Amino acid sequence: MILFQGQVYKDSKQDELISKLYETALLTLKNKPLDPLTVINACDKLYKKVMNHDFDDIILPLLETFDISYPYFLDSAKNFSKEGLLTKLKIELGEDYASLSKLKSGTKRQYYPLGILFHVAAGNVDALPAYSVIEGLLAGNINILKLPSGDSGISIKLLSELIKEEPILKDYIYVFDVPSTEIETIKRLANISNGIVVWGGDFALKSAREFAPINSKIICWGHKLSFAYASLDASEKELEELASHICQTNQVLCSSVQGIFVDTEKEDEAKKFADRFFNILVKVSKSGAKYDLGMAGKNTINLYVDKMEDPSLYLLNSDGVSVVYKKDSKLELSYMFRNVWIKRLPRDKILTLHKNKSYLQSVALLCTDKDREILSTLLAQAGVTRVSGPNSSRLFLGESHDGLYPLREYSRVVEFDK
Amino acid sequence: MLYTNKLFRKRDIYNHLKYEALFFKAIKENCLYLYKHCAEYKKILDDKYFNINRDLKSVDDISKIPFIPTLYLKRHKLTTIKHKSLITVTSSGTSSRNKSEIDFNLGFLLRAWNMTRRVAKYHKLWSIKPTRYLILGYKPNKKNPAAVTKTAFAATFFAPGISRTYAIDYVNGEYKVDLDKLKNKLVKFAKGRLPVRTMGFPAYTYFLLKQMKDEGIKVKLPKGSKIMLGGGWKQFYAEKVDKEEFYKLAEEVLGVNDKNIVEFFGAVEHPILYTDCREHHFHVPIYSKIIIRDVSTLEPLEEGKIGLINLITPIASSSPLVSIMTDDLGVLHSSCKCGEKGQYLEIIGRVGIKDIVTCAQGAEEMLKQ
Repeated sequence: MILFQGQVYKDSKQDELISKLYETALLTLKNKPLDPLTVINACDKLYKKVMNHDFDDIILPLLETFDISYPYFLDSAKNFSKEGLLTKLKIELGEDYASLSKLKSGTKRQYYPLGILFHVAAGNVDALPAYSVIEGLLAGNINILKLPSGDSGISIKLLSELIKEEPILKDYIYVFDVPSTEIETIKRLANISNGIVVWGGDFALKSAREFAPINSKIICWGHKLSFAYASLDASEKELEELASHICQTNQVLCSSVQGIFVDTEKEDEAKKFADRFFNILVKVSKSGAKYDLGMAGKNTINLYVDKMEDPSLYLLNSDGVSVVYKKDSKLELSYMFRNVWIKRLPRDKILTLHKNKSYLQSVALLCTDKDREILSTLLAQAGVTRVSGPNSSRLFLGESHDGLYPLREYSRVVEFDK
Repeated sequence: MLYTNKLFRKRDIYNHLKYEALFFKAIKENCLYLYKHCAEYKKILDDKYFNINRDLKSVDDISKIPFIPTLYLKRHKLTTIKHKSLITVTSSGTSSRNKSEIDFNLGFLLRAWNMTRRVAKYHKLWSIKPTRYLILGYKPNKKNPAAVTKTAFAATFFAPGISRTYAIDYVNGEYKVDLDKLKNKLVKFAKGRLPVRTMGFPAYTYFLLKQMKDEGIKVKLPKGSKIMLGGGWKQFYAEKVDKEEFYKLAEEVLGVNDKNIVEFFGAVEHPILYTDCREHHFHVPIYSKIIIRDVSTLEPLEEGKIGLINLITPIASSSPLVSIMTDDLGVLHSSCKCGEKGQYLEIIGRVGIKDIVTCAQGAEEMLKQ
């Protein structure tokens, strides 16, 4: 399916529509830039409908598929309310985003959109492609969206609803279902775009660098890994909260903790910590939503095989949760679904995390107050983009995206001399 | 393999009580043989401090034999055969990384033949009537060592086949599914007098029946026709239908009563032929034992509880398949209405279906490179 100026077309019209896309977009650029308040109003109206359960038939199955709890969803939906989006706008572009102060020379400054944004969306979260377009709209851009393969149709549905609320948006939203293999078509779309927004794994990011023209800006939202860092004296309460975060997210989010680095060099201390955390995890897991039998079974088999391959592996497993102590200090993915690794990483080695570069995202820091500042600073210097309490998947209005502000990435400042 | 060969010659194929002692002896014999002839297997038992003569004293100890997950067999080839094996079979994984490759020898083939003979007899699958076969699976070819292909082909010998039609052809180096061809054949064969037997994946059979129903095609296959199912639901778990619905559809579209629908279950890593009874339950034959284990602690669970399916059989001396952990969830029941006293297995499904690619997972894959 194709969405072109508010109309839905069959994929067979693709070539015809793409050939008149640039001309159409230039006409739109001739108009005054899109007012972010128009976008905010449209989102707010949609947000209220969501709160009114108007879209439950679409939303509830999605949450089920991705193991996202309804309260967590409500929490994230708040970001699309008027209040949420205004906060985002002001945090990312500044309170004075609409009337930037002049330079000393009297030069006027004004935010402009990059112009045309080409979004290459990933398939792992259904609502993400539409979300990416909304961010592009907030910065005032014309948005071309390439749907991920296997898109459920929700992106076109959501964006059509948005256009219904504010018909002026139809000139700013174009959706095509171009398969990733149609390189020539993708290049055509990239060629007319000022910015290319890429979501997905390294493969997607790498191929974007290949198809993008040299004079297009590439904005990458790649895959991330998050973890916890704990000192040996981390409190019972903090560890319980961390366990609860692990059970609630099942570790499937970029910001979910995969494992815990412990501030020690000593193997016996790390193992003792593993024992301690395992007992807490068992207790917390029992008190909340039940674990998934199949995922626990899958993890158990994986761990059993790991132990066959390395009989010295220190492994704790019961009641659907597992903790494994590993000798190395590498950042890695856990088996997820309540499987946690424990590794040693004394504070003077925190900087070794630097080699993970842009894969680093959140760290849940568990330590006493006296250590908090020094450890936070070390972690930030190593390259993480968020130091949180035990719940690293908490959502705050106005928080950055992997350490960046998307609206700034999608905007430019234009200076007008007196 | 004295005891094992003896076990596979027994006629009373569901009478566990009668052959319990023999089964135990066969298992112990198999363990000792594998320990002696397969260095990797020896290491696995030694790592788990399992001493066969000390720890395997009675049938109750069988659950203590260290099991090998099918996942491990996909990563490591374990064999007792020093030179070229008679046949090598792979499981039906989609890439070379997730397939197990298992060697089999002549002794295995003889035992398997004895087993198949008895099972087919018990379930009345033999027939001397010439039969038309429709296979909803792969056409065998030299490049496809997958067990399902061989099983499907083997199943066409229960009755003399006068024709064989395949749903998946091997055209220009790739597989092509052609359900239309089968549909047309079914309509044609329904007008004849020779019985028809279909054999293949349940999912394909279901799609075929559904397609026929949607198109308003209804036929009555000749008397003696059977629908045979095997190979599991594979990637079609989401489409998994209620068995009752499946039987109703078969009756409606092909005029085949559920008494003439038979399903098989087995695996390359556990090559035992499970055949459903008239209540459509998979009873455990005397050649094997099933233990359901806790998904976390791996301790054996009592009947009626869901857990990981651990399959035990002495059938193979060519490869350590004595105790295999599958990645399926299942539950054991007893007191089936069909009258067999032994336990039967209900397969719940593959573990880890929620295997979605998350953003964190993507980063990990890259870090490994």
